[in-house]
Amino acid sequence: MTGELPVAIINYVFLSSVIFFIGVAGVLLRRNPLIILMSIELMWNAANLLFLSFAKAWANNAGQIFAFLVITVAAAEAAIGLAIVVTVFRAAKNVDVDDVRSLQG
Amino acid sequence: MMLALWLLPLFGAILCWFLGPQLKAAAGWLASLAIGVPFVLTLMLWQAGSAGLHQALFSWMPGFTFGLQLDPLSLLWTFIITGVGFLIHVYSMGYMEGDRAYARFFAYMNFFVFAMLTLVLSDNFVGLLVGWGLVGLASYFLIGFWFERPTAVAAARKAFVINVAGDVGIMLAIFILFAFTGSLSFADVFSHVGALGTGALLAVCVCLFIGAAAKSAQVPLHTWLPDAMEGPTPVSALIHAATMVTAGVYLIARCAPLWNHSPQAQLLVGTIGGVTALVGAILGMAQWDIKRILAYSTMSQIGYMIMGVGVGAYEGGVAHFFTHAFFKAQLFLGSGLIIHALANEQDVRKMGGLAKKLPFAFWAMLIGVLAICGVPGLSGFFSKDQVIYGALEHGHPWLYAVGILTAGITAYYMFRMLFVTFLGEYRGDVDHPHGSGWQMVVPVAILIVPSVVAGWLLFGGENSAWAHFFATQFPATQLPAANVPAISEGLTTLIVLALVVLGFAVAWVRYGSKAALHNAAERLEREATRMPGILVNAFYIDVILDAVFVRTSQALGSLFSRFVDPLVLDGAVRGVAGTAGRLGGLARLLQNGLVRSYALLLVLGAALFLAYYAFAGAR
Repeated sequence: MTGELPVAIINYVFLSSVIFFIGVAGVLLRRNPLIILMSIELMWNAANLLFLSFAKAWANNAGQIFAFLVITVAAAEAAIGLAIVVTVFRAAKNVDVDDVRSLQG
Repeated sequence: MMLALWLLPLFGAILCWFLGPQLKAAAGWLASLAIGVPFVLTLMLWQAGSAGLHQALFSWMPGFTFGLQLDPLSLLWTFIITGVGFLIHVYSMGYMEGDRAYARFFAYMNFFVFAMLTLVLSDNFVGLLVGWGLVGLASYFLIGFWFERPTAVAAARKAFVINVAGDVGIMLAIFILFAFTGSLSFADVFSHVGALGTGALLAVCVCLFIGAAAKSAQVPLHTWLPDAMEGPTPVSALIHAATMVTAGVYLIARCAPLWNHSPQAQLLVGTIGGVTALVGAILGMAQWDIKRILAYSTMSQIGYMIMGVGVGAYEGGVAHFFTHAFFKAQLFLGSGLIIHALANEQDVRKMGGLAKKLPFAFWAMLIGVLAICGVPGLSGFFSKDQVIYGALEHGHPWLYAVGILTAGITAYYMFRMLFVTFLGEYRGDVDHPHGSGWQMVVPVAILIVPSVVAGWLLFGGENSAWAHFFATQFPATQLPAANVPAISEGLTTLIVLALVVLGFAVAWVRYGSKAALHNAAERLEREATRMPGILVNAFYIDVILDAVFVRTSQALGSLFSRFVDPLVLDGAVRGVAGTAGRLGGLARLLQNGLVRSYALLLVLGAALFLAYYAFAGAR
């Protein structure tokens, strides 16, 4: 059983993948922790988009509910991430992640 | 009541240990009370105990119950442990007065009595072994009581090591017995003796005897006993004369049903006993330390007991334990009177003429010597004759001869000690030897009574009170058929007496007569320098044991410490640690601290997973 979608489901999957890999690229390539956090946020939302699309397509509300869970966790993650960034900034006067390597083994 | 009898000394030990500084002099009274009350309980239990009394206490595991039992044999030992033990505790109050570890001494003494009671009251082999180990421990504590002296520490260690070697023997015997009979209680094991073959039975007996020989100072495991005289004199009297060293006799008498079925084991034990009696007596002739003389005499007398129970003359062997406990405790306590009076002098060459200065000690020692020599009417006379004649009755003429010979030598060295100590002129350094307080005098005076009269319990052969008492313990039907010897008991007594008189006469000529007492100091010095090396060095048994066991184990130890330990054991440990370290070094390369490289690895990992499932799904 399929629900009502404006366009074919495959388009949503492609869009989600593109957003996800933009997020991955942001995490890997940028050195500003704020940008990295934003990129992570992008990846969360790519996943959310898929949840919602398939929930609508298969008329199964579990996906909708899961999206709420993801938003909650993402909010928590962002809070912790920002807290870490602030702390590091206070200690190091620097927000370049490559310079924060005192946990080197 | 049996429980109280068993545990009271333990409570005494605990109280003395923890409240020692608060108790001060009261510790002695408390400890004496903790032994005196069990003695009264023993007397109250006498009637029930001689009929056989058993009390199961707790079950350790299915099929093994720990309990206490009283039968004539354990009753006799309990009587001596608590009775003589009580007197020695009272004596110690005088002897140890002023010692700075006064309460600790009594804690150890009470602990010893508890351990010894465990040994004799246990109704099974495991309880016996526990007591067996604990008395060894108590003996270790008490020999090394004056631990400031290196010699005392060395003696304590030696005694402990030899005793533990014996414990291992008993443990092995228990393993074999359990494998064949499936039980550890005396009653079960003895009713299933038939389940053991001749070989297994012999193995059990030999293993048990290793334990008995180590504890009872039998050749060649006796060397710890003379050294053990480093302990305080009351300890020597209680542990190394009256009770602990006779545990071997108890063990063999307790396991009589095993020995009765193994003539080879009987021959072995009887022979070792006879050899020990003779060796102890010979070495006793060559000692100058009054306590070492008594130690060798103890060893010799225990040799008699072991010979008695070994050949199957259980009543005789046990009787000799009974009488010996009295007169040897008396001799040791008597020597303690002298040592105490002379400010810890133990060398008989520095005594002499003490009969006038310490008349009570003289009379006490004289009666003890007469009893140990077997002068008719005194206790040693009856019990020793039973052992010697028992050897002949059970078909061991050689042991019989050794027993008679030893009796003569015993008379010689005991009178030698008596004469050198008490006759002639005083040769010591202490100006005014002083008498002792009532705590020391009264116990010795009380001990004189049984060492004179106890032997009369044995009077009357098969109709004696002694034979009746042990009628159920050692039923005559179980004993191997006794031969009818060619030499009668009366003749034996005469031969023994003749040799005793001879020994006395030689001792008199050499040490007691006017001629001998003239210039006694010089004569004794000369004798000491001329003493044959083989006697001074106690037949080199210590040297041999040292070469065979101590040196080999040291060599083995150094071999292990030089090669096996650093190469094999340390090698394995260091190898494991080194490998882990190197692997960790490799893993460290990943931890470069760059957050983005971690993220990259994460992505790569995820990509690998995806690829795997993509291809696995495709297949």
